[in-house]
Amino acid sequence: MRTEILAVAVKELRQTRRDPRTLAVLVIAPIIQLVLLGFAVNLDVTHVPVVVADADQTAESRAFTRELLAGDAFDPVAATPAAPDAMAQVVAGDAAIALVVPRGFAADLKAGRPTTVQALADGSDAQRAVVAQNAMGAFALRWGLQHSPLTALAQAQAPVGRTVVQPRVLYNPTLDSRIYFVPGVAATLLLVVTLVVTAMGLAREKESGTLEQVLVTPMSSWAVVIGKVLPYGLIGLLDLALAVALGSAIFDVPIRGFLPLVGLGGSLYLLNTLGLGLFVASAARTQQQAFMGAFFVILPMTLLSGFMSPISNMPAWLQPLTLLDPMRHMVEIMRGVLLKAATFEDLSRQYGILAGMGTALFSGAALALKRRLS
Amino acid sequence: MTHAITVTGLTRRFGDFTAVDDVSFHVEAGEIFGYLGANGAGKSTTIRMLCGLLQPSAGQATVAGCDIAHDPRGVKRAIGYMSQKFSLYLDLTPQQNLEFFAGAQGLSGKARKRAVAEALDRAGLTDRADATTGALPGGVRQRLALASARLHAPKILFLDEPTAGVAPDARREFWREIRAVAAQGTTVFVTTHHLDEAEFCARVGLMVDGKLVALDTPDGLKAAHVPGRFLGVQGAPQALLRQAPGVVAVEPFGLRWRVRLAADSPLVAPEALAWWLAERGAGDARVEAGQPTLEDVFLALVDPA
Repeated sequence: MRTEILAVAVKELRQTRRDPRTLAVLVIAPIIQLVLLGFAVNLDVTHVPVVVADADQTAESRAFTRELLAGDAFDPVAATPAAPDAMAQVVAGDAAIALVVPRGFAADLKAGRPTTVQALADGSDAQRAVVAQNAMGAFALRWGLQHSPLTALAQAQAPVGRTVVQPRVLYNPTLDSRIYFVPGVAATLLLVVTLVVTAMGLAREKESGTLEQVLVTPMSSWAVVIGKVLPYGLIGLLDLALAVALGSAIFDVPIRGFLPLVGLGGSLYLLNTLGLGLFVASAARTQQQAFMGAFFVILPMTLLSGFMSPISNMPAWLQPLTLLDPMRHMVEIMRGVLLKAATFEDLSRQYGILAGMGTALFSGAALALKRRLS
Repeated sequence: MTHAITVTGLTRRFGDFTAVDDVSFHVEAGEIFGYLGANGAGKSTTIRMLCGLLQPSAGQATVAGCDIAHDPRGVKRAIGYMSQKFSLYLDLTPQQNLEFFAGAQGLSGKARKRAVAEALDRAGLTDRADATTGALPGGVRQRLALASARLHAPKILFLDEPTAGVAPDARREFWREIRAVAAQGTTVFVTTHHLDEAEFCARVGLMVDGKLVALDTPDGLKAAHVPGRFLGVQGAPQALLRQAPGVVAVEPFGLRWRVRLAADSPLVAPEALAWWLAERGAGDARVEAGQPTLEDVFLALVDPA
């Protein structure tokens, strides 16, 4: 058995080494994608373009907009006295928010009357609109307190009986979304690389007829399957190590926990992804079918993993389904170990599910393949 | 004497289509057994069942003493198989291909090294062991595939259309090798649709539409299915030849006519026919003795009319 597995694994590695394209898919593509996705997938909302329509044109209105636009959050794009012109800029996509300061803004302030500033946000990018709106509201509240003639009065009154929430964000105090995303990206890449390469590799052997020559040897199907996926499993682990290293070097993803725990998670996760690859391979007759099949698996797995959007935001009926997604558990393990220094005990549920599902998937796929082949 | 292969009522259906229909025969140890038939006649399906790649729908067969349905691994250990399609890895070198298939046969260490070196030598590739297999010419690849199938010194070799798409001189060379293998005691089961190649076989089975319609030595098949004598005639008109007493058929063959005569025809001797032709004004016709071919047998069996 060992001789046979080794023979298959060595052959697989030799073919990979002689084919620059497979090598590129296995090692170089994941690195490029991790870096690109790491930069591109970023939910932090900064530098929102704002067009100001200042109808008041007073020292106060100018001070208000100047201070609002001073920070990183907002960038001024243009100024116009007319609100419809500002709106046109939002429609054209040049600005995400039109800030309309009405006539009488300064007068209201001086009189100590409540005053209203209108912010028209472009809701076609809902995420940005919400974050920008909140930022603007917070600024207005702060600014209002500082500049209101009532401020002195307000400060004089001691805050008796007021509840103050003192938020403190753990593990990612600056709420840098990259730190949150890079582990997810790494899990996605591992899935894509191992699943596609496994499925395509077997389909290629079916197409070229070499598989038949392999099957007429006395080797057991297990030796064929294990020998075939072993090299890709190892390359997958190498990719995982690269992803963690790059995430830490380029995106400052912390490594707070015990790294081998990520490796253990990765190994169990690979058992799942390679098993899925074998399933696709057993169903596909050509490389093209294998490629299409792989994407039918990859897309739902990525969406259900909670790597893009929190699982708690999904409808209640969908949430239990995500437990069947190996990627969900891998993402949780990576975030847990890297960001929260989680221990094996903390993540025992995730490890258990990955191990159980991985064994079942891999054995099932190997058996399905065996039936298909004979 | 035990048979290398015994087949009884072997049948394989794919849905409504019966690819192999109730076939029975046996192959003696050490003989070259030819399995003939047109494309789609069921040759490859039979061979794939005998190699343990395909389960029969009905019937049974033993190969090297192992039942193909119950002990496919025992079968696989005893046989070497060379498929219709060249099925070594084109992107690897001959050396790497042989190392892989030797490993797949369970050979390791020194035994593997020796088997690989021997196979490279057999294929004449010792000095090209590190070339890319895909870049080798067709005939060389074929010899490599045969050497690969023989790595583990199998008792029985299955060759499925081994010379399909191979140049004529390479084909002759290849058959010389097959005969040498058989002379060393290996049983060879070979399918082909080149009828001239079947002459090299000790016995020939003929498949038509999934059925084994004839099985005998090449001479036996000719005697049984194309009785009569064959004469080659040059320089006489076809119409005249057709009138000769006892003529069964007159077919063009190159520049000559191939004349088939009934065995009891008075003109079976070349001299007799030449004399008969001379009497009718074809004095310069040349007549020589001819032989029936397996092609005649094949045509007689496929199209009895």
